[in-house]
Amino acid sequence: MHQQSSVPKLGIGLLYQEQLRPFIEREQQHFDFLELIPDIMWTDMGYGSSPRFIENRRGISLLRQLHREMPVILHSIGFSIGSAHRFDREHIAQIARWYEWLKFPWHSDHLAFMFTEHATSELNVGVTMPLPYDQESLDLLMPRVREMRSSVPIPFLLENNVYFFKYSQQDFDEAAFLNQLCEQSGCRLLLDLHNLYTNCRNHRDDPYRFLEKLNLENVLEIHVAGGMEAQGFYFDAHSGVSPQKVWELLDWVLPRVPNLGGVTFEMIGSWLVDVGEDGLTAQLARMKEMWMRHQPAPQPFEATV
Amino acid sequence: MSQRSFQTIIARMVVDTEFRAHVREHGLQSLADDLTPLEQERLLQVASDRGMEATRLVHKDFRLSKLYIMLPLTRFLLGRKRMIREASAFWSVNPPVSHYFLQEAIDFCDHLLKRLASGLRVKYLYEIVSYERAALELQRPCQHEEAARSQTVNFNYDPMILFTQLSRQQRPRAVPPLRCTLVGTLDEDENVQWDILKSNS
Repeated sequence: MHQQSSVPKLGIGLLYQEQLRPFIEREQQHFDFLELIPDIMWTDMGYGSSPRFIENRRGISLLRQLHREMPVILHSIGFSIGSAHRFDREHIAQIARWYEWLKFPWHSDHLAFMFTEHATSELNVGVTMPLPYDQESLDLLMPRVREMRSSVPIPFLLENNVYFFKYSQQDFDEAAFLNQLCEQSGCRLLLDLHNLYTNCRNHRDDPYRFLEKLNLENVLEIHVAGGMEAQGFYFDAHSGVSPQKVWELLDWVLPRVPNLGGVTFEMIGSWLVDVGEDGLTAQLARMKEMWMRHQPAPQPFEATV
Repeated sequence: MSQRSFQTIIARMVVDTEFRAHVREHGLQSLADDLTPLEQERLLQVASDRGMEATRLVHKDFRLSKLYIMLPLTRFLLGRKRMIREASAFWSVNPPVSHYFLQEAIDFCDHLLKRLASGLRVKYLYEIVSYERAALELQRPCQHEEAARSQTVNFNYDPMILFTQLSRQQRPRAVPPLRCTLVGTLDEDENVQWDILKSNS
């Protein structure tokens, strides 16, 4: 199976949220592409239902408009690639249908499981649950990644997860596991620096040790975000601006990721009230300034519709 | 097969604190007989890990935020503490099965309506829960175009005065009794439109 190993240098992205819509429609000079959780544009009627996905008419209409103006990248939450009880080929087919429509240059999901068996139905934890970093997990993931890649012929990225507990006696540490996963399955990485910061802060680990061990050639996209402290833990809450240490990580990583396509800022839309449009613009400007120091200028966008 | 059992048990420990306490106190006997010794060790360790409580917090906040977003007037009328108490009681018998949660919000409305029928006393809650439930029913995704979708809600108090007070973030008081029926429909842009069909008094 042949796939391109690099992606276009898109530049700075913003994750779509309904509350950010006026900003996104009006202030497009501040970012180069839009990242979208496609699962909010359809309703998943449940694994095995027919039809499985009912698309939201208003959402589709908005997406048509935005796609004429800038690249749209899909960052899904619904695949649950690590679920041991089932492999969701219907989700792959839905992403493939949207690829035929939107022709995004890469797409991503989370390295986790959210759905498990429960009595006669499924249980949705609503949290991206960590998989043990074992060969057994690699054996589960590899054929799934391969099938996704053969159905959607562009790079498929998995995002490093947040975890509040660690499993004992794992076969690999996180960086080695991600390296193995990419090498054996052909997937690429969405390196979420705020997730990394969250894990290192909660577990008192060194993020630079992780980054030095990670094969950064596999990183095609980076996420930055903000979070909050509560009940003795730091949470990846996407609540406001990025902490200074995340900016320092971005500054360190950017010159070391030759295949990077974009850096995306994630913020829950309701936080716009606190951050303000000026604050959001400042986050994007800081990302752009770092990008321009370390990466080639973003490639101009040509609409495909 | 043991990966499936492992994930099922760990997920149940996140959503069900009583189950996690059971695992902590009694171990994994009778829960799954196919777990490897390492999986058993990991589950027992995670059951006592304070990181599991943080995971539970993320899960609970996520689930509660869905109810807050879909039922803002019900939340306002109940108040935060009572809303959490009622949601916890509802969740104890309703595990999460979807990440869209519209059905969960409708089921939570049914839980509150049952609680009202069995003695819960919160003035105007019947009208507000019925109203928000009807709006969610209208927004439920349909597989086919349905030309004549509508929902009716019976009110015992004047809805105009009640909604005016709520829109001002005031706790409603002294709303005059008025028996009437509200009819909700979807317009072309899929926004819910309400009309007072008739006054019954």
